[in-house]
Amino acid sequence: MEPLIEARSLGKVFPMGGGPVHALRDISVQIAAGEYLTIRGPSGCGKSTLLHILGCVDTPSSGTLRFDGRDVSALPDHARSDLRLRSIGFVFQRFFLLPMLTAAENVDVPQAEAGVSRADRKRRTAELLDYVGLGHRAGHRPSQLSGGEAQRVAIARALANRPRLLLADEPTGELDRANGEHIAELLDRVQADGTTVVVVTHDAALAERAGRRLVMRDGLIEREEHAR
Amino acid sequence: MRALIFAVRSLVRQPGRTALGIIGIAAVGALLFDMLLLSRGLVVSFRDLLDSVGFDVRVTATDSPLPGGIRLTDATGAAAQIARLPGVAEAVPMRTATGEVWQTGRPVIGLMLTGMDPGARRPWTLITGADLGPSLAPPDLVVNQSLMDEVGGALGSEVTLRTGCDSSRAALAPRTFRIVGIAQFPFDDEAQRTAVMTRTALREACGDDKDEADMLMVASSGGAGAAVAAIRAARPDLVPVTNEQIVARMQTQGFTYFRQISAVLSTITLLFGFLLITVLLTVSVNQRLAEIAALRALGFSRGRAAADVLLQGAMLVGAGGILALPLGFALSLWLDQILKAMPGIPASMHFFVFEPRALVLHAALLVTTALLASAYPMWLVARLPIATTLRNEVVG
Repeated sequence: MEPLIEARSLGKVFPMGGGPVHALRDISVQIAAGEYLTIRGPSGCGKSTLLHILGCVDTPSSGTLRFDGRDVSALPDHARSDLRLRSIGFVFQRFFLLPMLTAAENVDVPQAEAGVSRADRKRRTAELLDYVGLGHRAGHRPSQLSGGEAQRVAIARALANRPRLLLADEPTGELDRANGEHIAELLDRVQADGTTVVVVTHDAALAERAGRRLVMRDGLIEREEHAR
Repeated sequence: MRALIFAVRSLVRQPGRTALGIIGIAAVGALLFDMLLLSRGLVVSFRDLLDSVGFDVRVTATDSPLPGGIRLTDATGAAAQIARLPGVAEAVPMRTATGEVWQTGRPVIGLMLTGMDPGARRPWTLITGADLGPSLAPPDLVVNQSLMDEVGGALGSEVTLRTGCDSSRAALAPRTFRIVGIAQFPFDDEAQRTAVMTRTALREACGDDKDEADMLMVASSGGAGAAVAAIRAARPDLVPVTNEQIVARMQTQGFTYFRQISAVLSTITLLFGFLLITVLLTVSVNQRLAEIAALRALGFSRGRAAADVLLQGAMLVGAGGILALPLGFALSLWLDQILKAMPGIPASMHFFVFEPRALVLHAALLVTTALLASAYPMWLVARLPIATTLRNEVVG
């Protein structure tokens, strides 16, 4: 079966004043469609950098990245934007919901950007807010939502254009345990419904829920674990 | 969600800053609008003034279109000859002089005098009383309201007038005139005292034995240009000029200062507008870097993110620019009053005159400013490194 993501020998070097910093060194990983993968490791080990490259918001300094069989490592910016818009969803630690928009409008934004019709957007937005359990909060602004609710809206927004891949960078990092558990359950459900999920986290409990876990150190994959 | 609504919401989320920005642009736009009105105001106003007189060609003996130079000789004959030319409806000789009203026990009143026989057209508008008639015993005099107030008599009363027709001549004996009407003279300023009598009466008052005039006022029947060509062909010794040519001459000479002042102030105003918009948008972008990076990560293209900034700039300028129009219009009325208080400015002339082209230019300059001012914040957005910005936000 063709993997959804195939990274070969990925390297990422950041030029710094005190000399280049090697954030990623020769990383190779394959992620199958529908898989749930978590990436763990200490701060600065390169896990967020890897996530950004897998999500096409950053480009590798070396190596190749294939998304659904297509080499995307050297795509021009507009093509990577389009790929992210239609095929990749992002969830951030700090949610980054637009504060001037309601929950429903935040979910509407990526769909409008993708050219979805108004009627379809309305239907999809309602469906997604119900999916994350916030149908009753559609008209609320982010400032009127709790952290857990805001992150659920952010997940709904990330799923708006039915992406094949959902990337989450420390999705429970700003949440208390109970809310973190809700988000973890929601990510389980997203994966169970067929979306490939990749999560970067410090949260061991969250990491344990994935079928496959990568542990990184110093820009390298130190070990790979599989659920029993 | 449409880009326009998105940009509106982005602006509205910072209502104080947006309001201050719009007010700032309105103030800048009002000044710009006034400078545009000023840049051509006098020219337009002067042209309207010339056209309001009813004559569109002036014929003089020299290149100067204004009275006071070398006079035309055989003015009656020249006027008659020109009036017969094709494309000419009427030609009337006009002579100017100064005068003094003498009243027992009262100070002498100085005035400007015009000698002109009323034809089908005349460069004054009768307000009350009668117009000039052929009577010479005593001759009729039509005065402006200012002179009438100063003289203090009633219509039909007689005044003693000493004319000053030529500075090289000895003082002339005063003569008696009858005030038959009050008229408005288009070139009068607020305080000016003016009177008109027939050219025959002025000639007698001046003691002239020659039939002279300062100029011939000509009304064309088929366009000023054609009349000028016909006059040039018939009388190459005379200099006919159209109102347009007089305006063009004033534009390159007398009114240049206003154009230059207007250009300098417009440039400075636009520079302030440019800086204001650039600062507002740049501050806004810098406060929203993480949010913009997140949108980019969600699939917003560089162009779309930059267009959002441009739209915000356009809306700030649009709202400020629209507010600037009533503000600028009110300001121009006030400034016009101040400038018109200068001596020698005809009451019906204006420094700030509205023309549709001023509105178009105002809009075009503001749009250009918005585009240029948005360029830097747009560039910031377009080159924003998504991953680094997101990482910095989390670390920060």
